Amino acid sequence: MTVATTWKQKLAGQVREDWAREIDIFETQIELRKKGKVEEKLFAETRLRRGTYGQRYDNGQRHDGEKTQTLAFPSGELTKGPVTMWDAPGMQRIKIPYGKLTADQLDTLSDLAEEYSDQILHITTRQDIQLHFIHIEDTPDLMRRLAAAGITTREACGNTVRNVTACPYAGVCSTESFDVIPYADALAFFLLGHPDTQDFGRKFKVAFSGCKDEPCGLTNFHDAGAIARTRMVNGELKRGFEYYVGGGLGAVPYPATLFDEFLPEEELFPITQAVCRVFARLGERENRARARLKFVVKKLGIEEFKRLVLEERAKLRPDERWVSFLKDLHVTDEKPLKAGSELAPGGYPEGFEAWRKTNVQAQSQPGYSTAKVTLPLGDFTPAQGRLMADLARRFTGDSLRATVEQNMLFRWVSNADLPAFYHELRKAGLGEAGADHITDVTSCPGTDTCKLGISSSRGLATELHKQLTVIADTLDPAAQGLHIKCSGCSNSCGQHHVADMGFLGVSRNVNGRRVPHFQLVIGGQYKNNGGSYGLAIGAIPSKHVPKAVKTLTDRFVAEKLDAETFQAFVARIGKKEIRKLVDQLAVIPSYEQDPSYYSDWGDPREYTIGDLGVGECAGEVVPLVQVGLADSERELFEAQLLMDEGSSESAAARAFSAMVLAAQALTREKNSFLGEGVDEIVREFRTHYYDTKLFFDPFSGGKFAHYFFRAYEHRGEASTSKEGAHQLIEEAQLFVEAAHQCYTRIAGALP
Amino acid sequence: MLSQRLQLKLYLEPSQHFELEALIPVFHRFIRDQVIKDLLIDVVDYSHVPDGPGVVLIGHGADFYVGALDGSLGLVYSRKRGGPGPEGRLEDALRRLINAARLLEQEDGLKLRFKSNQLSLRLTDRLHAPNDDATFASTKAEVEALFARVYGGEVSVERLPASKEPLSLRIQASSSPSLEALLEKLGGPPSTVS
Repeated sequence: MTVATTWKQKLAGQVREDWAREIDIFETQIELRKKGKVEEKLFAETRLRRGTYGQRYDNGQRHDGEKTQTLAFPSGELTKGPVTMWDAPGMQRIKIPYGKLTADQLDTLSDLAEEYSDQILHITTRQDIQLHFIHIEDTPDLMRRLAAAGITTREACGNTVRNVTACPYAGVCSTESFDVIPYADALAFFLLGHPDTQDFGRKFKVAFSGCKDEPCGLTNFHDAGAIARTRMVNGELKRGFEYYVGGGLGAVPYPATLFDEFLPEEELFPITQAVCRVFARLGERENRARARLKFVVKKLGIEEFKRLVLEERAKLRPDERWVSFLKDLHVTDEKPLKAGSELAPGGYPEGFEAWRKTNVQAQSQPGYSTAKVTLPLGDFTPAQGRLMADLARRFTGDSLRATVEQNMLFRWVSNADLPAFYHELRKAGLGEAGADHITDVTSCPGTDTCKLGISSSRGLATELHKQLTVIADTLDPAAQGLHIKCSGCSNSCGQHHVADMGFLGVSRNVNGRRVPHFQLVIGGQYKNNGGSYGLAIGAIPSKHVPKAVKTLTDRFVAEKLDAETFQAFVARIGKKEIRKLVDQLAVIPSYEQDPSYYSDWGDPREYTIGDLGVGECAGEVVPLVQVGLADSERELFEAQLLMDEGSSESAAARAFSAMVLAAQALTREKNSFLGEGVDEIVREFRTHYYDTKLFFDPFSGGKFAHYFFRAYEHRGEASTSKEGAHQLIEEAQLFVEAAHQCYTRIAGALP
Repeated sequence: MLSQRLQLKLYLEPSQHFELEALIPVFHRFIRDQVIKDLLIDVVDYSHVPDGPGVVLIGHGADFYVGALDGSLGLVYSRKRGGPGPEGRLEDALRRLINAARLLEQEDGLKLRFKSNQLSLRLTDRLHAPNDDATFASTKAEVEALFARVYGGEVSVERLPASKEPLSLRIQASSSPSLEALLEKLGGPPSTVS
């Protein structure tokens, strides 16, 4: 017998033929790139489509707190994409459709984290698993081993259909119209590699929910969102979906728009296929910042968009896959390992009652419960992964779900088994209570590993978790149920817009130095599938954020009326009140008095955003700029207050004014005779900052300047809706933020 | 040793209590001042993960962890790629591990003390080093030869029973030389980037 010396040999015959071929091709492309026979941009898109991302410092430069050092990677100048060094460790995103994992798959993922990564598996806010610090040359074997376990990384990134997500309670939930999993499962594989999904200008995200009111599916911020619905048609109960399009978070969040209040189940696939075709045809190609479907829907209006989709639908060649899965909707049903039972009274392990209260939920099937494993920041070790796999084998069968709150859900736990199940979790350090409560803070990777991170969202989340856990038991139940979400930048991977308290990383110049801050985002709604988005109130120094959370929480508990939600409480007391808190917390000691304020959470290096991109030295610090930028922030806040009062037009005008003030402050750096006229400010800003690309962000290019120019072009137009004002305020926020960053770059002296 | 990927761990004296986060500034300084002859890239804090890798100093060829992945606190040298050929891998790993442990012991703010004679070895390469009797036998022989030479005296090598884990060995030397003495036997601090 020949001993296999490669994974390809060892797994021969165990991997689907088409998947094996794709991985072989990718491996060949790696070799060709090493020989310089594949252009770097092409190779970058190729690897991204296989979920193989870059990570922070992959340009070979790292700021050590004092200066930028070059990382002398052994492959020298060889790159795996523009400004992305070959040897730089990267991230592998692994698509897990609707978060479903079998025990064997979890074992495989654990092995891979152990052999190729840094001993950690990370659950993302879209039910994927990510492994970090992976070398590009390890990825083909990693993909083969996944493929042998029935997992593909194809189209985990790039301009593709990303992981199809769904409510983790689907099939066992008492509020759902029906189980959406057979639909989500079939659609995920229908769209994977489909010719109509290969030519997008940007990514496309799909989500399913079994009901409208709960948050579990978060369909409101997806390109396509399907909520289960039933309807009596000619005396027969028919299944269908309340179907939404054009939602998305990102820098400027858009709520999804209703496309059809009842899309029959047999039309789900062809309509989604037609939506993909329209997106591929009409989606923006040049400007990535406006390339998501939400901009197409916004630009065309839902009626015209729908007309185009239906026109496209009529042209589609019938595909038996549209309906073939409907013949057996039980194919994804799970078979519980044990019979349902009652939980015996008393004699429980220590901590069981608290854990049960927050982490256990009764299923719609009598005698069974779901049990959630709290995973701080979504992280767990290979040993814990294997333990969870074994618990599934012992207690539930293959019923695991990675959740968007970055936890792991077990379904079909027979109630009598709950104490023993908890006991095993607790032994492995996984018995923490508080899943999806205030202590269970969600975070994107932020500056830990993401190239776009501005502040340490994971560092902040860790600190909040630590501080809140200490007082969790003493908190009022209303406070315990609050949601906190953190993003390291404005791209919203931490989904901060739909939290009670959301935080997004920004930086500020204070006393001539960089200081990590977080914008406090208030008023978002998690229920109703992420029903509404919060707005930024103001920036708080990172080290003051825990104090802000505590103060807001205490005030909510003390002043809330009966069953008032946090969102309603904020609306009642008004953002001015919240802003007072932000203003109080804005002041920090000088560097000489306390340098810790000038470092981020979990990172003692003096804070910098130098790792984000190349700085540009073009002058000296002029305090007048800061005064002007502060004015623009005040103006922006006024805009929010006006919007809350229902004065959408005034709010929009004020948001534009904030942009003008920021542009004016910056432009006076270049033209000290600049006047007050808007036309002149826009013209001069364009000349000095846009045409020169001085305002350009290393990753977003001129996106934020475009917001300003568009607002200028459309100023004073007919009445502005609340949604329009909301969007303009978001864009103004980003423009002012970009002005801050630009100012720091031109100030030059700051890292 | 056929496995290029291996993790060698030196345990901390059990009575020590310290905050893992205290390692973070130390590891950042190791990168900034190039204290260790490895291509070091970043520091990651996993102290929030129970029985996790702790605080990780990420390198190109190898990582260093101070954590409790197996339930006991210690320093792990985790070779990922590159480095010497099969004959020199284990010795090179031991040398780099002992050197890093010595440097951490010298950090006044940490006050760490390692048990020099208690280690574990994991071969994190299921292809080239499957967790089977043959791999155990060959690895055991290699470990015994190296440790007898470096530590002197008796060395016990025990295989940990966990079929799904990578091959894991517990190594106990009868003598407890100082880290400095061990490093001298191994040729002193590594002078080349791994």
